[in-house]
Amino acid sequence: VYRWVDHTAEVELEIEAGSSEAVLRESVQALGELLGARREAPPPAAERPGVVRHRLEVSAPDLPALLAAWLEELVFLAERDGFVARSVDELALDGCTVTARVAGVLGDPPPLVKAVTYHRLAFEPRERGYLGRVVLDV
Amino acid sequence: MAAIAAQRIDDELWEIPRGTVEGMRVPARVFADRELLAALERDHSLEQLANVATLPGIVGCALAMPDIHQGYGFPVGGVAATGGEKGVVSPGGVGYDINCGVRLLALPLEFGELGAERRERLMDEMARRVPVGSGGRGGSDGLRGVKLERVLAHGPRALLDALGIGSEQELERTESGGCLSGADPSAVSPRARERGSGQLGTLGSGNHFLELQRVEGIYEPAAARAFGLREHQLTVLIHSGSRGLGHQVCTDFVKRMDAVLGRYGIRLPDRQLSCAPIASPEGRAYLAAMAAAANFAWANRAALAARVREAVGVVLGAEAARQTVQVYDVTHNVAKLERHGGREVCVHRKGATRAFPPGHPEIPAEFREVGQPVFIPGSMGTASFVLAGRPGSMERSFGTTCHGAGRRLSRTAVRKQLDGEELRRSLAQAGVSVRAGSSRGLAEEAPEAYKDVERVVEVVERAGLAARVARLRPVGVLKG
Repeated sequence: VYRWVDHTAEVELEIEAGSSEAVLRESVQALGELLGARREAPPPAAERPGVVRHRLEVSAPDLPALLAAWLEELVFLAERDGFVARSVDELALDGCTVTARVAGVLGDPPPLVKAVTYHRLAFEPRERGYLGRVVLDV
Repeated sequence: MAAIAAQRIDDELWEIPRGTVEGMRVPARVFADRELLAALERDHSLEQLANVATLPGIVGCALAMPDIHQGYGFPVGGVAATGGEKGVVSPGGVGYDINCGVRLLALPLEFGELGAERRERLMDEMARRVPVGSGGRGGSDGLRGVKLERVLAHGPRALLDALGIGSEQELERTESGGCLSGADPSAVSPRARERGSGQLGTLGSGNHFLELQRVEGIYEPAAARAFGLREHQLTVLIHSGSRGLGHQVCTDFVKRMDAVLGRYGIRLPDRQLSCAPIASPEGRAYLAAMAAAANFAWANRAALAARVREAVGVVLGAEAARQTVQVYDVTHNVAKLERHGGREVCVHRKGATRAFPPGHPEIPAEFREVGQPVFIPGSMGTASFVLAGRPGSMERSFGTTCHGAGRRLSRTAVRKQLDGEELRRSLAQAGVSVRAGSSRGLAEEAPEAYKDVERVVEVVERAGLAARVARLRPVGVLKG
């Protein structure tokens, strides 16, 4: 599950999930919501026209930086192409490298994220599962 | 952590003593009155300011202006000067929107001469010509004749040379002449170039805007005359920055410096403060890339001003467009090498504006007797201010003053209080004509989201950092 934490100027995202992979999957849903997709909207079906898929490979020196780099990739695709990722078809995490195929739609996302910051950045195991936290500059 | 308490130095200056946060090398000081200070206890602004005081080589104090609010790493409204052998430069101390800033244009018309029908047409025409929102759609229209490389190296001069956009007077009336020395386009990553390539001449989103205003009051007639402002005159204020290009430069260098903190023996309380010695390869590369992004931002505001002038020409005639002049252009997100206290320091201003006093050699000759112009946007429903730098800024704040009203409420909190359409109607009733792509975005930037801008400028005036010259009242707003 993910939630938005109150922040005076920016947007703070906090994710709790059963595994590190699930945190990355949830982060796609959260960013999609921020870019205009409805939270309860179903993921795009494979056969639906207009669905676009991207294969991503992202690496970082540590897990928190990986969460930031992963979201940066999605922010870049949104800004360059208007691509709003809505679901993850495949995702594999090997150390601090994630390879994934994400599905989404092309559109005209509303005013969106400028950058993914390192402020209060976290991606770490907890008693049950994993916690991810990131502040987005909007 | 427990709430941070600031101790009174005088009615406008408060200090967080060294030792409040582990690793503080100097005290932290905030310019504020009691009410503004009390509001800071509701978020993490003061904790962030104290964290800035841990930066290696920080000189004097970590400072904050009265519009300070919680940001990431540095608080917005933060100022830090670093120097000496260990002095660092921190990309987070500039922020993602490198050279976000404000340009003021003065029109040759009074508000009373405009009329309701022409005001609506002018707002429509500006909205039609100025691309807003997230990406770069429409940004390159009419600008394809200029090479990005030259914009990064030379700023708005590249537009003047290649396309005849702008003028020598506009370059003179821009902070640093619209070009930071040391800019190196090769230090800007391919991804940053890709993000910026279509975004020249676009406003962006978030708190970026273009505002049609009338001069509501004059406080210092001599300075107002020097700036070319008179009561009832129409002005246009443009607030934008370096767009995706600058965002990516900051992203690249926060990461790059985060990876070498150990090499330089730097320990920080917040990864977003990542930094490197000014003289290190990473520090030099960042300053070169940041300067290029700053030059891009000045060119962006020059291109936006050209689009405003086109709109003025269509609605008010070619002569009105020709007589629409730039008052000045200031940046409020930048790091610059400046001389203070007899030494060279790197002044980080994140949501803070340079405010050099009368006589300073870096002020254009035509303004040198009255001080550097500074523009303080308020919010859509309130006022904005034109200030002039005062000697206290050199003595107390590394030549710096505030940059705006400063946020008071989060975006979520303000959306809970009102919706965009309701706000649009209430602004219309108050005489402000609004053009906004998104109702949600409009609500997030409601006047209620911001502090009282009058209180903010009164503090910097009483503190001797800057003096009020004119007050501007919005009559039309185009929101990004």
